[in-house]
Amino acid sequence: MNFFDRFTKGWQKYRKPGYYEEFDYAWTMTIDLDRCTGCSACVTACQAENNIPIVGEKAFAKGRQMQWIRIERYWEGEYPNAKLSFIPMLCQQCDAAPCETVCPVSATYHNQDGLNTQIYNRCIGTRACAVYCPYEVRYFNYNDHHWDAPLDQQLNPDVTVREKGVMEKCTFCIQRIRTAKDEAKDDGRRRVRDGDVQPACVQTCPTEALVFGDRKDPQSKVSKKLKDPRAYRVLEELNTLPSVVYLKKVDADG
Amino acid sequence: MSNIDRRDFLKLVGAGSVGAGAGFMLAESIKHPVEYLIPYVVPPEDFSHGIATWYNSVCSMCPAGCGITVRTREGRAKKIEGNPSHPVNQGRLCALGQAGLQVLYNPDRLTAPMERTGDRGSGSFAQITWEDGLTRTAEHLASLHKNGQGNRVAFLSTGVRGHFASLLELFMEALGSDRLLHYDFAHPHTLYAANKRFFGEESLPYYDLQNTRFLLSFGADYLGRWISPVHHGLGFGHSRQGRATGRLRTVQIEPRMSISGAAADQWIPARPGTEGHLALGLAHHIVAEGGYAGDDRENWVAALRPYSVSRVADQTGVAPDTITRLADAFADTQPSLAIGGGAAGNCSNGVATLVAVNALNYLVGNLGKRGGLLFNPTPAFGSSSHPRQASYRMLSELAEDARNGQIEVLIINGANPVFNLPSAAGFEQAMAEIPFIVSLSSFLDETTAMADLILPSHTYLESWGDDSPEPGMGFAVGAISQPVVSPLYNTRASGDIILGLAQQMDLGEALPWDSMEDFLKARWREIYERGAPADKLNDFESFWRSILQAGVWGEKTQNSASTFALDPNLVDNIGVEAAVFSGDSEVYPFVLHPYLSNAFYDGRGANLPWMQELPDPLTSVVYGSWVEMNPLTAKKLGLSEGDLVRVESPHGEITAPVFVYPGIMPDVIAMPIGQGHAEFGRYAKDRGVNPISILAPLMDPDSGSLAWGGTRVKIEATGRQAKLLKIGGESRQLGREIIQTSSNREGANEHAQINSIPISVVSS
Repeated sequence: MNFFDRFTKGWQKYRKPGYYEEFDYAWTMTIDLDRCTGCSACVTACQAENNIPIVGEKAFAKGRQMQWIRIERYWEGEYPNAKLSFIPMLCQQCDAAPCETVCPVSATYHNQDGLNTQIYNRCIGTRACAVYCPYEVRYFNYNDHHWDAPLDQQLNPDVTVREKGVMEKCTFCIQRIRTAKDEAKDDGRRRVRDGDVQPACVQTCPTEALVFGDRKDPQSKVSKKLKDPRAYRVLEELNTLPSVVYLKKVDADG
Repeated sequence: MSNIDRRDFLKLVGAGSVGAGAGFMLAESIKHPVEYLIPYVVPPEDFSHGIATWYNSVCSMCPAGCGITVRTREGRAKKIEGNPSHPVNQGRLCALGQAGLQVLYNPDRLTAPMERTGDRGSGSFAQITWEDGLTRTAEHLASLHKNGQGNRVAFLSTGVRGHFASLLELFMEALGSDRLLHYDFAHPHTLYAANKRFFGEESLPYYDLQNTRFLLSFGADYLGRWISPVHHGLGFGHSRQGRATGRLRTVQIEPRMSISGAAADQWIPARPGTEGHLALGLAHHIVAEGGYAGDDRENWVAALRPYSVSRVADQTGVAPDTITRLADAFADTQPSLAIGGGAAGNCSNGVATLVAVNALNYLVGNLGKRGGLLFNPTPAFGSSSHPRQASYRMLSELAEDARNGQIEVLIINGANPVFNLPSAAGFEQAMAEIPFIVSLSSFLDETTAMADLILPSHTYLESWGDDSPEPGMGFAVGAISQPVVSPLYNTRASGDIILGLAQQMDLGEALPWDSMEDFLKARWREIYERGAPADKLNDFESFWRSILQAGVWGEKTQNSASTFALDPNLVDNIGVEAAVFSGDSEVYPFVLHPYLSNAFYDGRGANLPWMQELPDPLTSVVYGSWVEMNPLTAKKLGLSEGDLVRVESPHGEITAPVFVYPGIMPDVIAMPIGQGHAEFGRYAKDRGVNPISILAPLMDPDSGSLAWGGTRVKIEATGRQAKLLKIGGESRQLGREIIQTSSNREGANEHAQINSIPISVVSS
């Protein structure tokens, strides 16, 4: 068996439906679009937690901004019946992620919590994953970023600072998940309790539009949200099986 | 942590007071660790290497007064989060609150006392010592004080509350001056005045969004930057999808779609300045249809006679059947709630407009009721900001006094009137007449650049203080603001500077405290003493520690009266005059609608790089200013996105690129406030334009507040282009179904059906 066969066979194991069902957690986020006001608190919370650089005016003009979660806005109708809707867009942590299969160095892989993770020091910067991502939520470091002193003192020591040539993306605040697991272990619990871990965006959302938890736990808040008939996945027809589930906006007059 | 009601909150406060554990060895834990390879051989009790320590405090980025909890590692602040126990924000925080860290670690902070060396406003300063700075200020003040000319000292602070506000009052009283003013650009003067006139109380009530079923907002961007956005957001989220009693329906009436307008089930554009007419038109219909059965019904009928639906429809541009259906829905869906503010309160008829909104609440019985408007007790401690808040009229008087040579010393504490007042006010020129200006700011903003002496203050994350939020939560609540890191630079807390000045001036009798912390503790000891014996902890120290740990304090007080009697004379005087606009509509065809930026508030967030790079929620633009214009208007003027236009009012002109915005009336032009700083550090300086600068010096005559929605402008193309920086992508879904909607009838939320009262769309 040559290298290529071994490689694809290895991948197939992970791509088998139900493979991730055997593991402990399946982290999931639900986003209620009927609650979301577009206030963007999640964006800044994420930047603060994850050491996301300020790219500056020039880089922004080239479309090189780095916010891992962004608010997309869509207009419908014309004045005076114009309507504006918001949708927070972040890595969907797909169970069948198109970005994972294209990475030539396996820098992006699926971990056993169902997270789509990025190994920064394995990444060689081909940007293939960003091309394949249908949600456009992977961000490439075109430059080494700089924090004007003493802004660097704010940097979160639990999260690495990425350098030029590396792809990065939302991690569901994996550092917080790790801490919660460690604390659960220290307390002699086998599992993290519902609510013990919240990504920065979920924690700060003023309208509680974002809910995070383990969908393997039928009692968790997020499992209950998943049962809402309004639940849908963005670009579901692509069959990427996202772990971010949106709840439809309600049209009161519809 | 979901919604906390009064009972849960009191329980929580009780629980917090029991577990006073490890001591708060704050000063020990936050010494600079950077010089040592191993920070501590014997670390302080609450310091573990690699483990975060959390300190509770109060957010000072806007006047809402949210509780925060700051994560520190190895003596440095890493992340600000909402304090889950604080009833205002319940663990949540807005973008600006999150960015408070960049105030603390801002590279452009003032690091030491300085004196002016060049001309005023030239920005050349030289470093001096604290002793020198304090002595020179104290000498100036003392000589005036000794000659009985204390009133020649004016103090202009940003809006502050709690005991720091009391300290300022004590200081100015001891000095013999009554010129103590607070200044926040967005302070809702008209709302206070309207409440005074209608309820007899000059305070803000509690808007019970969480329990209301129909929310009618006249211009108040309650989810954006109006009063207490995070608390409103909590109520909004809960009443939209979190409760079993039906989905909240919201209607937003405003000329330009705000964040709240986008979130509303229906956005109704009404001509600027006619919101009050619309409110009275609704009231007219409700009373005429028998929706009000009070004894004074006949008086109301008479008072509302000029506001017939057809007439109001003509005045406001809202279709008659929209008005009647809206009125029926508002009266029939109980409990309902009408709120007014923002754009509706910023015209020359602002107070009358907001009185009309209050009247609407009165007529359908929303006052003092769950899901309606609840009255607040007076703040439980310290002083509130409103009685000192300077309206435009008061600042003009101060400027006039300065021009007449009646002000010898001006002390500025964080306020930035040079940026936040229209150029037509001439405040900067008036300041030039003041012989001695001291600024206690943390940054070199436009006002501080005019100072002779800068005594830089700590940021809020380095200072002691306390805060009782206004509007309150319907019960007595407050929190202590404590330093979360040791001071970064050679700065001092504003409170300590005041106390230091008092000591040098021998005002020790009136202000006998050594530091702000001492002063706070002395005042909190009084609060501790007044507690009921049964609730009391053993001693003050454990009480103090428990409040610091909980990050919030509450007191079992009597609720304020839930009923109120309407002054009968008020009904006869109800009525809204047409708003006055500055500028001839022939020459200046557009009404300028400046609005508070989501990221920068009134401009104070513009020096924070996170905020500069935060896409505006409605337009996604970053780093700059823009002019919002209806697509029809843009087409008529032959403009498209990025075309630079001159926006000219009778009082000045500014140039900014066009943004074509579908949610704005064709004869209205909107611009965000916050950019256009001439100073204020590398991130803010010389970026965008400041629409406040071209506003007309027009006032609401009742409250004296600036009618900042009352300026007309004309638009001229410059023929030049500017690239608007914004997130790329298509602004329409094009059938991709990225955002999906479910109609109520699909039964997505079976309770939601109850609240579905169809209201027609507005005709143009």
